Amino acid sequence: MLGLFGTLGLAQRSLSTQQQGVEVAGHNLANVSNSDYTRQRIIVQTGQTVPSTIGPQGTGSVVVGIAQLRSALVDRQIQDETSVGGFLDAQQQALQYAQANLGQEIDTTGSDSTSTSGQSGLAQGLSDLFNAFQSLSTDPTSLAERQVVLMKSLSLTQQFNQTSQRLDTLRTSLNDSVESDASSINTILSEVAKLNDQIINTETGNAGSANDLRDTRQSKLNELAELVKIDTVEQDNGAVNISIGGVLMVSDKTVLDQIETYDAGGGHILVRSQSTGQAITPTSGQLAGTIDARDGALASLQADLDLLATQLISEVNAIHTTGYNLSGTNGANFFTGTDAGDITVNATLLNDPSLIQASGASDAVGDNTTALALAQLANTSFASLGNQTFSERYNQTVAQLGQELSSTNSQITNQETVMKALQQQHDSVSGVSLDEEMTDLMKYQRAYEASARLISVLDAMLETVVNLKR
Amino acid sequence: MFPTTLVNQLAKLSNQQNKLQNQAATGQRVQLPEDDPTAMRRVLDLQTDTQALGQYRTNIARLQEMATASYDGIKSIKTVSDRASEIATLADDTKSQAELTTYATEVTQLIQQAVQSANATYQGDYVFGGTQNDQAAFVVVTDPVTGCVTSVTYQGNASVIEAEVAENATASVQVPGVNNTGSGTHGLITDSRNGADLFNHLISLQNHLLAGDTTAIKDTDIANLSKDEENLLYQLGNNGAIQSQLETADAVASDQISSLGTLISREADADIAQTLVRLSQTQTAYKAALQSGATILNQSLMDYLR
Repeated sequence: MLGLFGTLGLAQRSLSTQQQGVEVAGHNLANVSNSDYTRQRIIVQTGQTVPSTIGPQGTGSVVVGIAQLRSALVDRQIQDETSVGGFLDAQQQALQYAQANLGQEIDTTGSDSTSTSGQSGLAQGLSDLFNAFQSLSTDPTSLAERQVVLMKSLSLTQQFNQTSQRLDTLRTSLNDSVESDASSINTILSEVAKLNDQIINTETGNAGSANDLRDTRQSKLNELAELVKIDTVEQDNGAVNISIGGVLMVSDKTVLDQIETYDAGGGHILVRSQSTGQAITPTSGQLAGTIDARDGALASLQADLDLLATQLISEVNAIHTTGYNLSGTNGANFFTGTDAGDITVNATLLNDPSLIQASGASDAVGDNTTALALAQLANTSFASLGNQTFSERYNQTVAQLGQELSSTNSQITNQETVMKALQQQHDSVSGVSLDEEMTDLMKYQRAYEASARLISVLDAMLETVVNLKR
Repeated sequence: MFPTTLVNQLAKLSNQQNKLQNQAATGQRVQLPEDDPTAMRRVLDLQTDTQALGQYRTNIARLQEMATASYDGIKSIKTVSDRASEIATLADDTKSQAELTTYATEVTQLIQQAVQSANATYQGDYVFGGTQNDQAAFVVVTDPVTGCVTSVTYQGNASVIEAEVAENATASVQVPGVNNTGSGTHGLITDSRNGADLFNHLISLQNHLLAGDTTAIKDTDIANLSKDEENLLYQLGNNGAIQSQLETADAVASDQISSLGTLISREADADIAQTLVRLSQTQTAYKAALQSGATILNQSLMDYLR
């Protein structure tokens, strides 16, 4: 039998248990808006039994620990999905910038027979160039028509230059983004190592687990996962080992390795292990998304524009050099430059429109053979452009970019649906529900009142006993 | 958990609303490549074709102007040819030398008039000079003593320019003054194929009239001038045919532009009625989400605890 004093002790332990319950409920309530927080519960067990003449007797309750309600499976899935989300978001952003820099949109309010507007960007520039050659072919000696040809071609070359420059700038800023992501990754790796250290120190040799530190670490791991796909392995001592691309980065409390960027040639900034120099090719995460967009869609867009410009220069010049200008001389190029970045109209032509070589005969200024041939380039398919005309090839390039972006957009929509479902699962297990906490609070409060009442009863009983002998 | 869900729903509805509103405002379903890449490609191609057709119409308009300028020139040369034939017929044995000389003077003036017409310009180019049209097509040499025309020399060539009026279809309206190559556009004044050689025939008539050689006029000049007249009639007919051909090409291009416009509209335009209905539905859903969300958010267990 416990006896009155024993029961008093039981009541006091019960008060303590309910109080701890209230404290933990209060802790949960305080963190209701903390998205990284995992709700905690006290683990209450019956106290040690004592033998009595009528069998083992319980000694009340005792709190043996504070448990986190988290599902490691959901956590891992959220981590992986965060990587996928980061990858797709980075790609979408890069592709949207590329689309904006290309500046190609359609405006159907202008496409009727009285207006020649309706396109914009390079598509309009190409149409204008070939239409200007057409006009020139109907009046080869007109200085006004020649001036129009020069203005339209200058406008087109300037568009090529500007678009190329914008895409170069985008490429540079994507490279900068890769560098900054690598630096962030290294920072977070150090932070996780420190948290590992703190968790090991807290948990080794002591009771319970470092719940709040684990919450912080998990949120850091999610932050890291958004940047790059990581593989995590939890150790027995509570630390989490992190590998990126198969290379072990953090083990226990030590940062074994870091990520560094390097130039793989041609402006391709990639990442590798700092200690071994082994190249790391992440498959998911923001870093991978940026690299993929830069070396995939953006690179192919730039290559297509350069191809278009190079072909335009070579085909137009090939025809133009054979023609004769108003003075009967030939041999001058129409375009100068090598690609979209430096294509421009021959400066001597710009200064003197009469030098445009529109005629096919040195002694007949009214001849238009060369001008007509230049105009007919619009409908000529070239093998180097995939058996398409200039306009068709450009339109294909635009459509390809649109397709990439459109498909990334739908992937993001799908991924968001998955992420929302996982988040809901996570919240239902680990999220704090105000109603539930309030109910628990009430429960512990009433239990505390009951235990206090027990103490009052015991107090009265003790007084009765004490007052037995006056 | 519920607030997160509510925020997500509101964000999704808001995005949808913005997109539909943009479609209603611009009238377009497709504006950027990401909206519908395949439709974007098709519309860009159709717009390129439309612009090319617009350019063909511009070319046709220019060719029609040139054809009109040619026609005016040919007609005035025809009047000279008619009068010269008349004179050749009138100049028979019944006329005195004085009368023949008067006719000769008139023929001299007719030659000058014809050369002036043949040297017509249009926007700075000599209309009948072929592609060497930066200088006068014909040069007249007159005898300083007698005032008669001794020769008329052609300074142009027999080539003409072609311009596109449809894809891979060209048309030419130029008429060279002289064509002795045996192929290509018939020359206006001289053509080796049908024996026309107006100026030389007129000079010959002038000289025969001055010499009083009515036999030569009857035997040679009348026949020669007849060939010239036929050539000029041919030129007039040809000009009419070309102008008709240009009108047809223009009408075809115009029809094509209309049908391309319809195709573009089908690809890129938003169905306004459908868009507005969906916009209205989305707005209603948004309002409902806000109201119901607000009601649920306001409820809490704490309202019922003492």
